[in-house]
Amino acid sequence: MSIEYIISMITNNWPMFLRGAGMTLLISIIGTIFGAVIGLLAGVIRTIPKPERKMKRILLKVVNLILSAYIEFFRGTPMIVQAMVIFYGSALAFGIDMDRTTAAIFIVSINTGAYMAEIVRGGVISIDKGQFEAAQAIGMNHVQTMWSVVLPQVIRNILPATGNQFIINIKDTSVLNVIGVTELYFQAKTVAGISFKYFEPFFIACILYFVMTFTVTLILRYIERRLDGPENYSMIGQPPPQLMLPRNNANID
Amino acid sequence: MGSVIEVQHLSKSFGNHEVLRDIDFSVNKGEVICIIGSSGSGKSTLLRCINLLEKPSGGQIIYRGENILDEKHDIHAYRKKLGMVFQQFNLFNNHNALNNCMVGQVKVLKRSKEDAEKIALKYLKVVGMDHYVNAKPKQLSGGQKQRVAIARALSMEPDVMLFDEPTSALDPEMVGEVLKVMKELASTGLTMLIVTHEMEFAKEVADRVVFMDKGVIAEEGPPEQIFNNPREERTKTFLKRTLS
Ligand SMILES: Nc1ncnc2c1ncn2[C@@H]1O[C@H](COP(=O)(O)OP(=O)(O)OP(=O)(O)O)[C@@H](O)[C@H]1O
Ligand SMILES: [Mg+2]
Repeated sequence: MSIEYIISMITNNWPMFLRGAGMTLLISIIGTIFGAVIGLLAGVIRTIPKPERKMKRILLKVVNLILSAYIEFFRGTPMIVQAMVIFYGSALAFGIDMDRTTAAIFIVSINTGAYMAEIVRGGVISIDKGQFEAAQAIGMNHVQTMWSVVLPQVIRNILPATGNQFIINIKDTSVLNVIGVTELYFQAKTVAGISFKYFEPFFIACILYFVMTFTVTLILRYIERRLDGPENYSMIGQPPPQLMLPRNNANID
Repeated sequence: MGSVIEVQHLSKSFGNHEVLRDIDFSVNKGEVICIIGSSGSGKSTLLRCINLLEKPSGGQIIYRGENILDEKHDIHAYRKKLGMVFQQFNLFNNHNALNNCMVGQVKVLKRSKEDAEKIALKYLKVVGMDHYVNAKPKQLSGGQKQRVAIARALSMEPDVMLFDEPTSALDPEMVGEVLKVMKELASTGLTMLIVTHEMEFAKEVADRVVFMDKGVIAEEGPPEQIFNNPREERTKTFLKRTLS
């Protein structure tokens, strides 16, 4: 083994590695986005205040129960096992022959959704009660309050956790090789099988994983900074002097 | 009938803690009412019951002839008729000053963005904050935040404005700028219901002063009566304590 050997391995097999990395990115990007949407929906439903009407209260309770079961189940079992159960189970039980990529995206999405639901719920709970009250006081209903006031703040606050989940997804899609998804780990394994070399293909995969996750980290930091906006705001015109110096005009009688 | 809001036999308990008992009073069009009383007497709870941030345990609230505690009554339609100013400002953290004054108009009143912006700017000007339209809440001082919060409530062009100790969370040097705005509003004929500890302010702007003690209205009347010739012993004790 040597640097030259690794380079020749890359030059001979780069389309495989590239396709593998591409597949890994595809699954983790779509899975994270779908998962975040599922998590937002689930998190918002789980924070709806107790309705007045009895029928609605019962309905909400049932929905909450289903959501809790979903969250606990997917957080409480390994993704590698879920992949086997869902992929082979769907064929066995419903005769559905799932496309492997579709199955992979599905599994990553619902897994991410289960984690994100809890992150979103925490995010909503951490928003100051005064924000909800101010929105209600101007006549907003729950959906308007959430959409215009609460969720934008929640999304900003959970962005680091979402980025974290994205990075975990990039790495954890590797377990999906068990259902034959041609992601990066699967491709590295294939190259290893052909060349009878193990260190080199996995070393290349390792570098590629790190490049992907680190790029994501940098992009997210940039987005966070953009979302926070400029430190300063621009004044429109010049304020009258007494407003710049409230001290001098505090005594009014 | 000049009364906009009529509160009848209102009561409120948190668990077995009775905070408001048999409250009867009305708010007339164009009136400025100041509610005073010691801490824990139920002033905030009364205000919060009036706009249904707290659910009253008993009694009635009649708004322009309609019982708003009726199951079928649309709470949101009622609330948009009342402006509320909080002690802790509660500006929407994700919006700048202008959007704070626009979002309710657009979402709740379904005004067009152009109209909403015009109206928001008009009221930001009233409170002297029109130069700060781009500022986020965290970039403003307490007094400035409260003035934007007042503009936000005014932008909804409500029937009645409720203020819950609007200056209590402010540094002393910023109290003046907020009270000044409120005095100006009072002189325009706006209907205002103000919970306050600022006795001088109450004396000056109130048409009527309501003194609350231990969950009941102990005395109410024009400021001359309450501050100069209080009829109740409790009022005298309270004023002696606060004015000394
Ligand atoms: N959400 C709540 N749960 C339980 N008790 C409450 C709640 N809100 C208020 N109380 C109680 O109700 C009583 C009246 O409170 P309220 O805030 O209305 O008083 P206040 O007159 O506004 O006092 P302050 O001048 O300190 O603001 C207090 O004893 C308080 O502990
Ligand atoms: Mg209070």
